[in-house]
Amino acid sequence: MDFYFGLVQIIGVHTLLGLSAYIVLLTGQVSLAQAGFFAVGAYAAGMLTVLAGWHLVPALGASAVCGAGVACAVGFPALRIKGLMLVIATLAFGEGVRLFFFNFDYQVARGDIKVGPLGGEGFRQIRFFPEHGWTTGEVMLFIWVFVVAAMALLWWFDRSRYGSVLRAVGEDELAAQSVGINLTAVKVSAMTVGGAIAGVGGGIYAHYTTHIEHTSFNILLATFAIAYPIVGGLRNVFGTLLAVIFVQAFLIEGLRFLGDWRNLLFGALIVLAMNLRPSGFLGARRRA
Amino acid sequence: MKKLALAVSLALSFGVAQAQDKTIKISGFGAKTGPVRSFGVNSEAAMLAAADVINKAGGVKLADGSKAKVVVDFYDDRCTAEEGISVIRRIAGTDALVAVGPTCSNVAEPLFGILQKKVGDASDSGLQFPVFTDVAIKVGLARISEWAFRNVPNEMTMYSSVFYWLHKTRPELKTVYGGVEEDFAHSRATWHVVMKDRAQANDFKVVGESKWLLADTNFATQVREMKKANADIVAISAHPFSMCGALKEMARQGVKPKVLVGLTSSSSLETLQGCAKQAQGIIIPTSFAPVTKEGKFAAQTTAKFKGAADLHSMAAWENMFILKDVMESEKITGKDVQGDRRKIRDGLAKLKQTKGLMGVTKRTDDREADKPYLFVQAKGNEWVVLHDPL
Amino acid sequence: MLDFFQSVSDGVLFGATYALIGIGFTLVFGVMHKLNMAYAAASVGGAYAGLLVLKVMSAAPPVLVFLGAFAAGGVLGWLVYLTCFHFIPLSSPLATLMSTVGMLLLIDEIIVHVTEGMPQNYPAMFDDVMLRAGDFTMRGDLLLVFGVAVLCMVALMLLLYRTRLGLATRAVSQQPVAARLCGIRLEQVNATTFIITGLLGGIAGALIGASVGTLSPLLTTPLTVKGLIVTVIGGLGSVPGAIVAGLLVGGFENVLQLYRGVTERDLYVMLLLFVFLTFRPDGIFAPKGGRD
Repeated sequence: MDFYFGLVQIIGVHTLLGLSAYIVLLTGQVSLAQAGFFAVGAYAAGMLTVLAGWHLVPALGASAVCGAGVACAVGFPALRIKGLMLVIATLAFGEGVRLFFFNFDYQVARGDIKVGPLGGEGFRQIRFFPEHGWTTGEVMLFIWVFVVAAMALLWWFDRSRYGSVLRAVGEDELAAQSVGINLTAVKVSAMTVGGAIAGVGGGIYAHYTTHIEHTSFNILLATFAIAYPIVGGLRNVFGTLLAVIFVQAFLIEGLRFLGDWRNLLFGALIVLAMNLRPSGFLGARRRA
Repeated sequence: MKKLALAVSLALSFGVAQAQDKTIKISGFGAKTGPVRSFGVNSEAAMLAAADVINKAGGVKLADGSKAKVVVDFYDDRCTAEEGISVIRRIAGTDALVAVGPTCSNVAEPLFGILQKKVGDASDSGLQFPVFTDVAIKVGLARISEWAFRNVPNEMTMYSSVFYWLHKTRPELKTVYGGVEEDFAHSRATWHVVMKDRAQANDFKVVGESKWLLADTNFATQVREMKKANADIVAISAHPFSMCGALKEMARQGVKPKVLVGLTSSSSLETLQGCAKQAQGIIIPTSFAPVTKEGKFAAQTTAKFKGAADLHSMAAWENMFILKDVMESEKITGKDVQGDRRKIRDGLAKLKQTKGLMGVTKRTDDREADKPYLFVQAKGNEWVVLHDPL
Repeated sequence: MLDFFQSVSDGVLFGATYALIGIGFTLVFGVMHKLNMAYAAASVGGAYAGLLVLKVMSAAPPVLVFLGAFAAGGVLGWLVYLTCFHFIPLSSPLATLMSTVGMLLLIDEIIVHVTEGMPQNYPAMFDDVMLRAGDFTMRGDLLLVFGVAVLCMVALMLLLYRTRLGLATRAVSQQPVAARLCGIRLEQVNATTFIITGLLGGIAGALIGASVGTLSPLLTTPLTVKGLIVTVIGGLGSVPGAIVAGLLVGGFENVLQLYRGVTERDLYVMLLLFVFLTFRPDGIFAPKGGRD
C-alpha cells in the first residue's frame, strides 16, 4: 500500500509543478523557469524546518511567497521577450538558479554536526515527516490538500473573468491590448501565481525526498514541468493532471515490466502523443 | 513391493518438489539509464550469477530445515531520488526480504533518509526495510539509518596506503597536484577530504588543485595551471569522461607527471574504452581484481550473465553470499516477511567481518565496510595488479 | 597579462565547436521559426554512428569516420523532421517543441543502450598539433574546427543565395503561404532544410567528439544549452551571427573561469545571455527576416 501512497505523492507534487507551468502557458508564455521556482521553494522550506525549527505549514507558506517573489522578478523582463526566445531565456534562468544553489553554503551547528545546504554536497536530513511520525498515507493526504487547493484556484480563475483575460492574452496579444487589457499586469500576475504554486511544490519535494541538491533541479525537471500542460492540453486543469498520471503512473511505473524497453518507449511515446493529439489530451476548444 | 516402491518414490519426489517451491526474494536496484547504465547492468548480472551459484548448491536453509531458492529481480531507478524512493517502496510492498543497491550516491542519500532512523523507534514512521548497498560510495551514508548497510571500499584507508607506498618506494617524489570534479559529490569529497589529506599525512606537499565539472569539455586552463605547478604526482579525482578529457589535454600540452593517481570508480572498463592510450600507467586503489580463486570464479560466472566484474559489481556478488549466511544464521522462516526483514537487519548489524573475494572484510560500527584492496595500473588494454599492500 | 590572452585564445578556439552547433539551431529557427531541441542529440548521435565505420574497418582514417557521421547526421535530421515536423500542423508550435524533446530523450536513450553509457574514444585529426609562440600555445585541431565552421558558413550562404533550393527556402521562411501559391512544395523544402542541417550537425558532432577526444551521452545537454544561447546571442536565423556568438561565448566563459572559478563560470554565461536579451534582443546580427 505504501508504494501506491508514495506514487500518489509523486503525482501530487508533479501536478503542482505542471500547474505552475499551465497558468503561465495560458498567457502564451512557454516557461522553462518553473523548476527554478520549485528549487527556491525547496531550499526555503527545508531551511525553515531544519534550521529554524518551523512547522511545515508556515514553511510552505514561506516557499509560496519566495517562489512568487522570484517569479514576479522574472515576469517583468520576460515581458520584453517573445515566443521561443522566452523558452531559451527561462531555460537560462532556471539553470542560473540551479548554479546559484550549487554555490550556496549556509550551515548552522546543531550539537556536534552541521546542518544546512552545503553547495555541491546538497542539503541533507530534511526529516520533518519521519521525525513527526507521519505515515506515507498521511503525507499523501497532506500533499493532496495543496494540490486540490491549487486546482480549485485555477479552475475558479478559468470560470472567472481573469481566466478569460489570461487566455485572451495567450491567443492574441494585440487584440487583447486593443480591448484595454493590461498585458503587463496579466502576464506578470500569471507568472507570480505560477511561481507560488511551484514554490509550494518544491517545499513538499524537499521534505518527501529528505535530501536535495542542485542536480535535482536540472533541465530535465524544467522540461517535465512544461511537458505536463502541453501533453495534457490547455482546456482545463484536469489535462495537466491527466498528463502527470500518464507520465508518472503509466510511463514510469506502469511500463516497468518492459524492463529496458521502458526508457526507450518514454521518448517515443511522447513523440507519438504529440503527433496524434497536437493540442494535448484535453486540448483547448477552438472556435474555428 | 513394486507398488510400495512407486508410492515411496512418488511421495519423495513430491516432497522434493514441495521444497523446490519455496523461494525467497532479494531485489536489486540501480541505474540502468544514462551514463551510469553499465553499473546497473553489471550489478544485476552479478546478483543473478550469485543466485545461480547459491541455487545450484541447494539454496538457502530456512529455520524449519527446508531449503529455499533465491529469486532475484532488478529495478531501474534512473539515478533519480524520487524514482529511487518509489522503487524501494515498491520493493517493500513485495515479498522481497532485502534490497541490494543503489548505484548512485545522490539516490542513496535521500533513500536512506526515508528509512526508519533508529530500529524500534515507534515515533519514527520511516520505512522498515533493510538495504545493503553495493555501489553508492559517497562517504558516511550508512550512518543515516540503522536499516542501511554498505559494502563499499573505504577510500580513506586505501588512499592512505597509496601515498604511504609511493612515499616509501619512490622517495624522490615530493609534490602532489590535484584535479577534481567539483559538481559530483563523490569525486569532490574524495579529493578534498581524502586524497589531499592523506597525501599531506604522508609527507607530500600539495602544490595546488584544478577544478572542473563532470561534463566539461575544455581543460586548457586547468592543465596550464597543472603545468606551471610541475608536480611529481598528479592525482585526478574524476570519473572517466572528464578524466579522459583532462588526460588528453595533458598529452597535448606536454604535461607528464612522474606518477598518475586516479579515482577508485575509474578503475573500470570505461576508462580504457575512453582513453586507454592517455591513461597508461595510472595507479588506482581498488577493492577488486580477479587475482584470487574466488575472484576469478565470480568474474567468469558473472560474464556468463553478460556482466563485467569490477569493484562495484563484485560487491553485489559478495552481498548475495553475505546475505545467504546472515539468513541462515538468523534462521529466517521464509513465511513471515516483515519478521525476516528485521532478522536480516539485525544479522547484518551483528557482523564483525565478512568473507570477501579478496580476503576478509571487516565491518565497522557505523554499518560500513573495511575491504581489503590492492593497487591496479592501466597497462595496454587492461588493468593489471601493480602491488598488493596487504 | 599573458594568462588573460592565453585564456581568451583557448576559449575562443573552443568556441568554434559552439559555433558549429549553433549554426544548425539558428538555421532551423530561421527557416521554420521552430526550435529543434533534438538537434544537439542528433549531432552527437551522428558522431556515434560515425564510429560504426571503425567497426567495419578498424584502421580507418579519421576522415572516413567524420564522413560516416556526416551521412548519419543527415539521416537523423530527416528522421527528426518526419517525427516532429511533418505530421504535426505548423499551427501547433507547442506540439513540435514537445515532440523534439521526446526525440532528444529517445536518441539519448538509444545511445546509452547501444554503448552501455560508456565513453567512446574518438579519432581526431591534428589533435597533437600545437602552434607555439614562446609560452603562448594554440590548439591546431580547434583551428581546423574553426576552418570547417567558416567553410560551412560559406557553403550555406552559397546554397541560400545562389541556388533554387536556397531561393525556395528563403521564400518559405519569409512567406510560407505565398511560397505555396508560387508552387513551392513546402514539405520538400522543410525536409531538405532538416537534411542539410542534419548533415551539418553530423560534422559538428564528429568534430566536437574529436576536440573533446571522447564521446559520452553527457555531451548532449550542455551542447543543447550552449547551442541555444549562441543562437539567441547571434541572432535567430543568422549564420554569421552564430559563428561570432560561438566564439564570443567560448572566450567569455573561459576568461570568467580563470578569474571566478569553475563553479561560478556558467552563471556568468547565463548573465551574458540576459545582458544581450535586455540590450540587444535581436542578437548581434539581426537576420534579414521577412515582413512578419
